Amino acid sequence: MSNKVHRRRFLSQTAAVAAVWTAAAKTPCRALAANDSWGDLTGRLVYDGAAPERERLVVDKDVDCCGKFDIRDESLMVGADGGLMNVYVYLRSKVRAIPPELQKTVEKQVLLDNRDCIFIPHCMKIWNSRQEFYIKNSDPVAQNVAFSPDLDQPANIVIPVDTDATWKFNRPQRKPVPIACNYHPWESAYIFPVDHPYVAITGEDGTFTIRGLPLGELEFQFWHERTDFLETRDWPRGRLTVAIRAGLNDLGTIKLPPVLFAKK
Amino acid sequence: MVFFSAALVVSGCGQSESPGFRINLDGYDPAKVSQAQREAIGEAMEEFFGTPDVPRVPQELGLDAERIAVAAGPVEGRADGAQHGVYRQHCAVCHGISGDGAGALATTVDPYPRDFRLGVFKYTTTRAGAKPLRSDLRRILLRGIPSTGMPSYAQLTDRELAALVEYVVYLSIRGETERYLVQRVIDEGEYLPLGADVKEEVFDEAAVWAAESWAAPEQNPEDTVVVPPPRPEYTPPQRAASIERGKQLYASKNSQCVQCHGPKGDGDGENDLLYDDWNKPKIGVTPEETARLARLYRLPAQKLRARNFREGAFRGGGNPEDLYLRVYAGIKGTPMPAAGPQAGAGGVLTPEEIWDVVNYVLSLSGRY
Repeated sequence: MSNKVHRRRFLSQTAAVAAVWTAAAKTPCRALAANDSWGDLTGRLVYDGAAPERERLVVDKDVDCCGKFDIRDESLMVGADGGLMNVYVYLRSKVRAIPPELQKTVEKQVLLDNRDCIFIPHCMKIWNSRQEFYIKNSDPVAQNVAFSPDLDQPANIVIPVDTDATWKFNRPQRKPVPIACNYHPWESAYIFPVDHPYVAITGEDGTFTIRGLPLGELEFQFWHERTDFLETRDWPRGRLTVAIRAGLNDLGTIKLPPVLFAKK
Repeated sequence: MVFFSAALVVSGCGQSESPGFRINLDGYDPAKVSQAQREAIGEAMEEFFGTPDVPRVPQELGLDAERIAVAAGPVEGRADGAQHGVYRQHCAVCHGISGDGAGALATTVDPYPRDFRLGVFKYTTTRAGAKPLRSDLRRILLRGIPSTGMPSYAQLTDRELAALVEYVVYLSIRGETERYLVQRVIDEGEYLPLGADVKEEVFDEAAVWAAESWAAPEQNPEDTVVVPPPRPEYTPPQRAASIERGKQLYASKNSQCVQCHGPKGDGDGENDLLYDDWNKPKIGVTPEETARLARLYRLPAQKLRARNFREGAFRGGGNPEDLYLRVYAGIKGTPMPAAGPQAGAGGVLTPEEIWDVVNYVLSLSGRY
């Protein structure tokens, strides 16, 4: 019997990839570069229902220090006006070029603080080659930060009181990496190590902006911790192709049904 | 000759076919991986790594193919007296043909046999996050792991021990590669294996990375291997003072030892919901979620217990130097963190303080 492996190509399960979305024409008022070489992508994600009650988490370790805080579930955060927070929006297409301004202005560090017995912020992104992960502890108890990126060194770091630590990611990941604290199981955060600056995380109002994109058709992906890839009828596997034009490309307001975010 | 021995195995042991590697879909909803995808994953993995009977050892992984050949395949004594198939002879009943830690006896032991496919090994001389040295695996084979189902294999020859160590490394690299491939197939959906791009995107990424991380501590021991400084020679009063300092450090909010090991080292700390990296993914925040997740694994979730020092059984070894390594570098794949300094982090304890804590822990077990 031949050991020869049959070469097979499988058809796309999502063969009918969503039609390329073209932004409504807008004046390039906030374009990053003065010339027309780059485009920005913006939009607003809205949770189309009543903001869910954030469950109070069980805080039963280091109670003398952590017990005094009202620590709530952060896995689904909806702002006062329905804005859906903490959705990652990022470029899936291979990066062709990055504007020099973005390379110059990037912060050297991405900060994770342990404060009031939670991780702050809850969602982070990091440009591996240009940024280091800086972790500090503002609490009066030792904290722990543990994460295991794919094909990269796992971390399980103790951060004693009044100390800090730095970490370097060596490999871009395909989606955000969860961060845990082995001492305080309620603590949770995410970091998305990539090799480009094209990641945005929606804010309290649900808006996001990715700046300085090369022009042309680009594929983006949406990810949220409750859904993994944020899949909708229009976004198979959370993906959306956009024809980026010079200036501002506005996806407008996108309403997302609460059923997508139900705890499985 | 090969056909002849294969025929013997088939008829002699009553097996209907040679065992194959089991695809690793642990943690995934089976409905998300089609039959076609499973076959494609299996074919790609076979092209990279061969089969349990005829392993393929890609040259770029830097593995010793001769040793792997001694460990792999069916159990047989050759005419020259050399034993072959030593992995299946000694290990597979617990660790499984695929090294998935789900062999026939797996559910009868606590903790479960190690699942090599995560590429993580608990008791090593290397720093947190690093792969073990081959000598670390050999030490486990020679000593066994006290208070677990892992016995000592000190009776094996050096040739057999070296073969088993190399085969475990092979299964581990294979396992990490497969996990990456499966995750990729599931994430991409339409993507499927098998073209030159799979070789490039999966094998060259995952297998070569795993092989490099196995080679790193062997090639750069000064960066990765923790060498305990000699334990100070104490006079009796100094020894008592060291134990007392260790007791204070153990109880401090900075070391957090008490959280899991309890105020008296009985292993009864308030943090009693401990799981290692093999079992943690089976646990959700609600009972319903936990029940759903648990169904996606071959073995049910198994809780981890913090060591009770008074029992005196230390799994990674009970010598002072062994305990120094556990405190300094942590226990990989478990909530036990590294207390010693590491790249980018100053750590909680200095080497002198680690000796104090070790002396205190040994005093609790009546060994010091």
